[in-house]
Amino acid sequence: MKYLEKSIKEINDLLKKGTIKPIDLVEEAFERIETDKDLNAYITLNKEEALKQAKELEGKEVDNLLFGIPIAVKDNILTKDLRTTAASHILDNFIPIYDATVVEKIKAHNMIIVGKTNMDEFAMGSSSRTSYFGAPKNPWNNNKISGGSSGGSATTIAARHVPFALGSDTGGSIRQPASYTGIVGMKPTYGRVSRYGVIAFASSLDQLGPMTQNVLNNALLLNVISGHDPRDMTSSHREVEDYTRLIGKDIKGKKIAVPRFLMSDIVDPEIIKTIEVVIEMLKENGATVDYIDMKYLDNAVTLYQIIAMGEASSNLARFDGIRYGLSHENPKSHEDLYLETRREGFGKEVKRRIMVGSYLLSGENAKTYYNKALSIRDDMATEFDKVFKKYDYIIGPTTTTTAYNLDDPMDDPSKSFMDDVLVIPVNMAGLPGLGIPVGFDKNHMPIGMHIIGNKFEEAEMYRLGSFIEDKLNLDLNPKGGE
Amino acid sequence: MKNKLTKEEVLHVADLARIKVTEEEIEKYQVELKKLLDDVEKVNDVVGYDDEILIAPWDHNADLRNDTDTRMLEAKEVLKNAPNHTGNYITVPVVIGESEGA
Repeated sequence: MKYLEKSIKEINDLLKKGTIKPIDLVEEAFERIETDKDLNAYITLNKEEALKQAKELEGKEVDNLLFGIPIAVKDNILTKDLRTTAASHILDNFIPIYDATVVEKIKAHNMIIVGKTNMDEFAMGSSSRTSYFGAPKNPWNNNKISGGSSGGSATTIAARHVPFALGSDTGGSIRQPASYTGIVGMKPTYGRVSRYGVIAFASSLDQLGPMTQNVLNNALLLNVISGHDPRDMTSSHREVEDYTRLIGKDIKGKKIAVPRFLMSDIVDPEIIKTIEVVIEMLKENGATVDYIDMKYLDNAVTLYQIIAMGEASSNLARFDGIRYGLSHENPKSHEDLYLETRREGFGKEVKRRIMVGSYLLSGENAKTYYNKALSIRDDMATEFDKVFKKYDYIIGPTTTTTAYNLDDPMDDPSKSFMDDVLVIPVNMAGLPGLGIPVGFDKNHMPIGMHIIGNKFEEAEMYRLGSFIEDKLNLDLNPKGGE
Repeated sequence: MKNKLTKEEVLHVADLARIKVTEEEIEKYQVELKKLLDDVEKVNDVVGYDDEILIAPWDHNADLRNDTDTRMLEAKEVLKNAPNHTGNYITVPVVIGESEGA
């Protein structure tokens, strides 16, 4: 059974002709997932329900390209009647009673959810090692991390279990694991995809997006999940366009900026060299590429620490041991229940972030730190505006290194923030960012490139992404095209 | 500059966060929280263009919905996830002093 190796168009044709049925795809997906159980890509599998749903689709008209196709969903996105934990002990018994808007959308297209993917606890981390359920492993080298926080989604896509996965990105959590595992990941413009039904981490930064093996599939899934949602007041009214429409088109005359900070000595020389090769290729094909200086990019991690930890402390105040989730047994008092449940239920990284966040928002600190961070955040957005007046894209590497070892120390509390130093600015300004694979290091671990577009320019970004993908034509199957 | 928080500072921060910390955790947090607080201190070295702030990067004004009935959750469904409930009510420990309670 190799149907899932085929293009979505080919699978769709086979389904239409009746040569295959959705159940063939679902069975194949579970065979692949079960073979790779050790990768720990999933927290909860949805096998019984997925097989049932596939059966129910038999005889139904194959009315869209994604009909009957298996998809994996990050475990911080609510799925009705399917356990959703956000990789936390505090939610490890939580069964949502409604679907997130994105889940309603993929179900309306008759996509089939195979399971909930592993991640950093509450999406706080850069290696998925803060998961209560243990870290997922990188399919390219099982001793390496898959990145985070959407590490399980990256793992299942890179390992070719399913063609589609959903991730969430607060400060690089789609693009950074995509880079570490050699897949394509898009963080859309803030407001493009509804956040209703997503377990909030930092609400002004969070955004959901597609993770896939190629650019075309990524655009196809963005077509499905985008759109205005009255239940998310930050959701944009802009019309959804066909995000595949510029795929395969020329890039002649396109103007590209490369901020020097993104190519500075914080980045591994091997990665810089790989990006430079791509830049030369783009020039040869008619694009202009300028190295530019941009203010505030080097302050992004600091802003992120303040804003993300602050918002997280507020969002995670809802976990009280009373309404749902873990509850401390035999509490002495109401207060004891709250304090003890949170001690038992949250992991180390999450506790640290809630504590620092609470402190940063308390009393005068809100002015000294939070307001100051919001002010520089505004300046950073202004800087991006200036660049996009002259350029179509900003590009650079996605990460400063390739994936590191699963057993590397975790005792430096700043490390997980620094892993995302190159991709955080995009979340600050609400811009879209696309991560695509562009090569390998000497140990054959994937290297990723980051394409930043102006707001709501996702289709243009897929144009550039698909152009590079086509020219490089990399073998991105970690199993060597079995 | 000191390189760790005092025990009292950790307890204050934990109290703000409503998280109970154990004695051995306090020692670790004295160092770890200090490291993060040193990180965020850097924001005060940054010189901005102006005092404008960006709270969230959306492209439109807030959509305030009409004050009408919308989809409601069923109490029976909600209670499925509640650790303790009696009838249609979620049960919590006594909030006022025990002598005054029940």
